[in-house]
Amino acid sequence: MDQDKRDRDAGSGGNPPGDSWVNGLPQGRRWSGIAWSLLFLLVPVLGTATFVIAPYYNHWFPKDVSVHGRSIDDLFYFILVLTGVIFLATELILFWFMWKYDAAASSKPATYIHGSHALEVVWTIIPAATMLFLAIYQMNTWADIKMRRPRMSPSAEVVARQFEWRIRYPGRDETLGTPDDLFIVNDLHVPVDEDFLIQLKSMDVLHSFFLPNLRMKQDAVPGMKQPVWFKATETGTYDIVCAEVCGWGHYKMKGRVTIESRADFDRWLARIEAEQKATQRGPDEIPIAAAD
Amino acid sequence: MSTVTQPHAPSPATAPHDPRAPHDQAVPQRSMSLSTFLSTYVFSKDHKVIGLQFLFSTLVWFLIGGLLALAVRWQVAWPWSDVPVLGKLFAQQGGQMAPEFYTMLFTMHATVMIFLVIIPILAGAFGNFLIPLMIGADDMAFPTLNMLSYWFMWPAFFFFGVSFFVEGGAAAGGWTSYPPLSTSTVSAPGSGMGQTLWLLGLTMVGVSSMLGSVNYMTTIILMRAPGMTMFRLPMTIWAMFITAILQAFALPVLTAAGFMQLTDRLIGTGFFSPEGNIINNAMSGAGGGQPILWQHLFWFYSHPAVYIMILPAMGMVSDILTTFARKPLFGYRPMVYSIAGIAGLGFIVWGHHMFISGMNPALGITFMVATMMIALPSAVKTFNWLGTIWGGRIHYTTAMLFAISFVSMFIIGGLSGIFMAATPVDIFIHDTYFIVAHFHYVLFAGTAMGVWAGIYYWFPKMFGRTMNEFWGKVHFFLTFTFLNGTFFTMHILGAVGFPRRLADAYHYETFHHLQPLNAFMTWCAIGMVTSQIVFAINFFWSMFRGPIAGRNPWNANTLEWTAPSPPGHGNFDFQPVVYRGPYEYSVPGCEKDYLMQTDPPHPAEAAAAAAAHA
Amino acid sequence: MNASAPSIPHGHDDRDAHGHDDHGGGHGHIVLQYQPGLPLSKGKLIMWLFLSTEIMFFAALLGSYVVLRFGAAVWPKPHHVHLSEPIGAFNTFVLICSSVTIVLALEAAKANKVSMAKNWMIATLLLGSLFLGIKGYEYSAKFSHGIYPSQPHSRIYEKPDLYYGSAVRARLDELRKVPLGLVPAGLREAADSSAEAGGTVDLLKRLDEAPAEKLSAEQQTGRGRLQKVQKMLTNPGQQPFDLAVVADQIMPLPSEGTGSHGGHASGLNDAFPWLRLPAVIPGGNMWASTYFLLTGFHAIHVAVGLLVFAILLTYRLDRKRAGMIENAGLYWHFVDLVWIFLFPLLYLF
Ligand code: HEA
Ligand code: HEA
Ligand code: CUA
Ligand SMILES: [Cu+2]
Repeated sequence: MDQDKRDRDAGSGGNPPGDSWVNGLPQGRRWSGIAWSLLFLLVPVLGTATFVIAPYYNHWFPKDVSVHGRSIDDLFYFILVLTGVIFLATELILFWFMWKYDAAASSKPATYIHGSHALEVVWTIIPAATMLFLAIYQMNTWADIKMRRPRMSPSAEVVARQFEWRIRYPGRDETLGTPDDLFIVNDLHVPVDEDFLIQLKSMDVLHSFFLPNLRMKQDAVPGMKQPVWFKATETGTYDIVCAEVCGWGHYKMKGRVTIESRADFDRWLARIEAEQKATQRGPDEIPIAAAD
Repeated sequence: MSTVTQPHAPSPATAPHDPRAPHDQAVPQRSMSLSTFLSTYVFSKDHKVIGLQFLFSTLVWFLIGGLLALAVRWQVAWPWSDVPVLGKLFAQQGGQMAPEFYTMLFTMHATVMIFLVIIPILAGAFGNFLIPLMIGADDMAFPTLNMLSYWFMWPAFFFFGVSFFVEGGAAAGGWTSYPPLSTSTVSAPGSGMGQTLWLLGLTMVGVSSMLGSVNYMTTIILMRAPGMTMFRLPMTIWAMFITAILQAFALPVLTAAGFMQLTDRLIGTGFFSPEGNIINNAMSGAGGGQPILWQHLFWFYSHPAVYIMILPAMGMVSDILTTFARKPLFGYRPMVYSIAGIAGLGFIVWGHHMFISGMNPALGITFMVATMMIALPSAVKTFNWLGTIWGGRIHYTTAMLFAISFVSMFIIGGLSGIFMAATPVDIFIHDTYFIVAHFHYVLFAGTAMGVWAGIYYWFPKMFGRTMNEFWGKVHFFLTFTFLNGTFFTMHILGAVGFPRRLADAYHYETFHHLQPLNAFMTWCAIGMVTSQIVFAINFFWSMFRGPIAGRNPWNANTLEWTAPSPPGHGNFDFQPVVYRGPYEYSVPGCEKDYLMQTDPPHPAEAAAAAAAHA
Repeated sequence: MNASAPSIPHGHDDRDAHGHDDHGGGHGHIVLQYQPGLPLSKGKLIMWLFLSTEIMFFAALLGSYVVLRFGAAVWPKPHHVHLSEPIGAFNTFVLICSSVTIVLALEAAKANKVSMAKNWMIATLLLGSLFLGIKGYEYSAKFSHGIYPSQPHSRIYEKPDLYYGSAVRARLDELRKVPLGLVPAGLREAADSSAEAGGTVDLLKRLDEAPAEKLSAEQQTGRGRLQKVQKMLTNPGQQPFDLAVVADQIMPLPSEGTGSHGGHASGLNDAFPWLRLPAVIPGGNMWASTYFLLTGFHAIHVAVGLLVFAILLTYRLDRKRAGMIENAGLYWHFVDLVWIFLFPLLYLF
């Protein structure tokens, strides 16, 4: 026996001794084929289980309190089901082929086939149609959220800055940039059930204005004004997160958004106005992004 | 040219198992002078040596990138607690990391993984080693250029490496390096010297890739063995070829953008800084520029780059699947066209990274449609892989397991791409761990698994010895299990909106209950990195002690298996002449279940072809 | 002996001439033959591929230019920034000529006319250098107007606002800082031309203090204008309009109708270049950044080309070198082509 074979048969490398050799490649043992295919079966099984269980442990979407959030979530579920079906189908097929066509399972030679034109056409056309449908189906939602801006003057201006959110309300005259503007930091108040239009700016670097519960996210770009609008449906206090890395303090660039009834909102605004008058804080003392 | 009419060499495939198949040529002389040593192993122009140099360098960086990932995971799971080991190495405050240190960690983790591991291991290591061997050439078209492409990596290693130790630390603006954070030197600690070094390192990687890519294309076009038509190339070569095209056309854009960012930083040209920008109470440079312009330029490169980071793996996996399923590749041409399709479409989808960047939302729609369409060639590939193992005779070698897991994992990573391609959904999941899950599935669970498949598969060719199968399978099992534990759960984090790049998210009411899940993921990540010890030992042990492999240990068809293991200088000890495509396995009526590309025409072949047409 | 013994004897080869540039064949391994790919030599193919990466590089730069330019609120007209179309056009002509001479050099080399090839090559080298020379002249003209791509050097302001006003004031103060006596008498005359810090101070003093009859008529009006500018800058009831007037005195922007060089020669900075007062050019900063970026990278490519020509000149330019000359020529045509894009984009629109 030559060195090569001996090395293989010794089991130190190569293959465990006792394998039957077919066409020169070790045939392997049936149990190992079974074990490996079962391991791959775990992918779809545990994968699906994870997604099913997670919501029960509250590891799922934060509560949605906006009008358009619903359509985003619905879209997410729609894609989840679609991709879920594809995921399960492909992974199960993979498992089945692994199980069935294990070289150790039968001595039948492999099928000699180079492909199938018909199949190629089918599995190009069907995904194409699916994707095209998906593309068209979602456009409306996108347009609602980012393109069909409500016709109103901004309800507030949010200026991002390392590492805080500077918020400005237009005050009684309902126009921004006038002396009666009201200034608050990191504390956004929003009346419920009303369109709310924010003018988003940044003073220094990129930030991203992320309201998880309102399913809203928009980068704040220095030198640009971004309109952000939404309609809240429920009262409560939620997080404002900065979702674009903006320096060492990115992680703590946290704000709060309070959604409240119109009456509460007006009362709060009046209180801020009173406080501001009392402390004589003029707009000059809070530098807001220089250029408009 | 008279090449094709050559009298064909008796193919070595007729005796593939000959144990004494010569590895003589590669056995180094015992005593050699320093200059021979240098020209053989260090400044070698031999593509195989260069390939191995790339392999070793990138594996070392892989380890570094993995350790950086562990540090990232540590902070995410147990924020502000003492970091073991690494804490002593870097952070000052008694082992607890500072928030800017965390930003630096993930930036450099990604930089190392992408620019020093995945791109150079695919194109540099496998591309170099395999291209001449698989097409039947004696070397690359321009060996000197090839050597330079490796040596240009060293300045990059140096710049990235040294940046950890400069004032302010390494780059900390994310691997995407968005200005103005990255252009203004006052905006963050890592935006000082570290960022400049980062840009220089990136440029060097770019030069290296550019030199490599034009060389690969020239080699593949002009140096194929007689009879090796384009449509007889193995998928690995097709993938490398199209990857090279992608690199050649996408990289210069990043290089240009990198220069612009560099001048913004060094002399204040202001391409990416808007007018009147005030950072840290300091006025930034000239102004009048556009921050979003960088994003366009960056993603114009980096989206094609994500395909640069997976196409070669797809090619290798296709070859490995056919070998161990003992079956022709299902749909060879569709596979080729879909690689080309992915590459072509890859150039027009970059905007999907910028849906909420402030780019015109109408433009977002066009990018969304293009992105949806790029799922099609990927679908074709996936189904054809499934078709390939259907009806096969599957041998569960380690290489095969990694290859199958590539398919399985790529499906997961690709499907999560669909969520993000849907613009409205992306509003919510952009910059959350959903994205992190997506790209680790395609990059780590996909490409890295493909790389391992490639290592186990071509190891015999590289070193003349086979890796230990048992420990290989242990390595596979552990990696596969832990990687899913680490990354699958990230989808769930993403669904909660858990933001990426946050040093500590638990002070947000929305996220504070996610800590236990993160701790679980970190344990899995620790397990994953630890399992690599098995691999490292197996790798080095097998290099010297593994069972000696003949020329063709897997009974595979492609040209590299006709050469000695490892091949000597000039690769082939006979003139290879190619008679058929690379995937003629299990031809009915043929006495063995494979027909190498160099085997002379076989009567059974003609019969099988006639039967297929009938 | 196993079956894989080489069956093609060493040296038996009828490969094509380009088959094997890099290995001398003396390595002791067999010489392989290849499937015909494209009818191109390796060198030429890789050159084309390299040029396609270059195309993408310049495409990125040009694309950025277009985006920045059309994204900008204002963009200066060529004459606002002292670009001279005739000079640019002449330079274009020079470069095109050099593209012709390199072709002639190639033809000569192919015909084995060594000395003629050499002469054409020298002509190309000279034309290329002339191009760079003219470019350098244009750059120095920019620099003398304070147009740099970046802030510390650049004296360009986007609009006549408060920042601008204080910059002018600062410059004037700086000019006045050093007392007259500190400039050694012997240096005073020399200072006229040098316009270095001490020298300019001196010049300003002299302009300020010299009796009217010692000044030329031109200097007298200049003094008057300078005083007017100063008064406006220090006027407590200063209006934004005043600063616009100041800017106009320092460097009036030529108005649309007045033809290419309408009026800017009449600015204070033009009358007394040593003043180096900040000027207002709307959009000028970004213009300067892009201008220097594009022309700078182009100039680097020209310089590399010249280097290649210089190296080629050390060889005997006979038929054997035709391939090299051809590749160098390809590159040179590409550099030329880039300029053909740059010229209209930067000078004409
Ligand atoms: C190898 C790397 C790789 C690959 C192959 C891909 C593949 C894809 N990627 Fe991914 N991507 C990245 C690496 C990669 N990506 C990285 C690194 C980032 C983040 C960068 C950062 O921000 O730091 C990113 C981010 C990213 C985003 C931006 C998200 C955001 O920031 O908000 C998007 C959005 O559209 C996206 C989409 C896609 C799509 C649609 C594909 C498609 O090509 C996938 C196609 C594959 C399939 C669909 C699966 C197989 C097909 C079937 C089983 C058939 C049937 C399927 C259908 C009909 C749906 N990717
Ligand atoms: C190819 C790319 C790649 C790879 C392989 C990885 C691998 C890993 N990544 Fe990485 N990651 C990125 C690319 C990659 N990542 C990118 C682009 C980002 C975004 C950064 C940004 O936001 O800017 C990111 C961000 C990122 C984050 C998010 C940070 C944040 O946003 O706050 C996290 C968190 O868990 C993470 C974790 C991990 C883990 C646990 C691994 C593990 O899989 C690591 C496992 C490592 C090993 C298994 C090492 C193996 C070693 C060997 C095999 C060597 C053997 C040695 C010899 C033989 C000599 N990564
Ligand atoms: Cu602001 Cu991150
Ligand atoms: Cu992408």
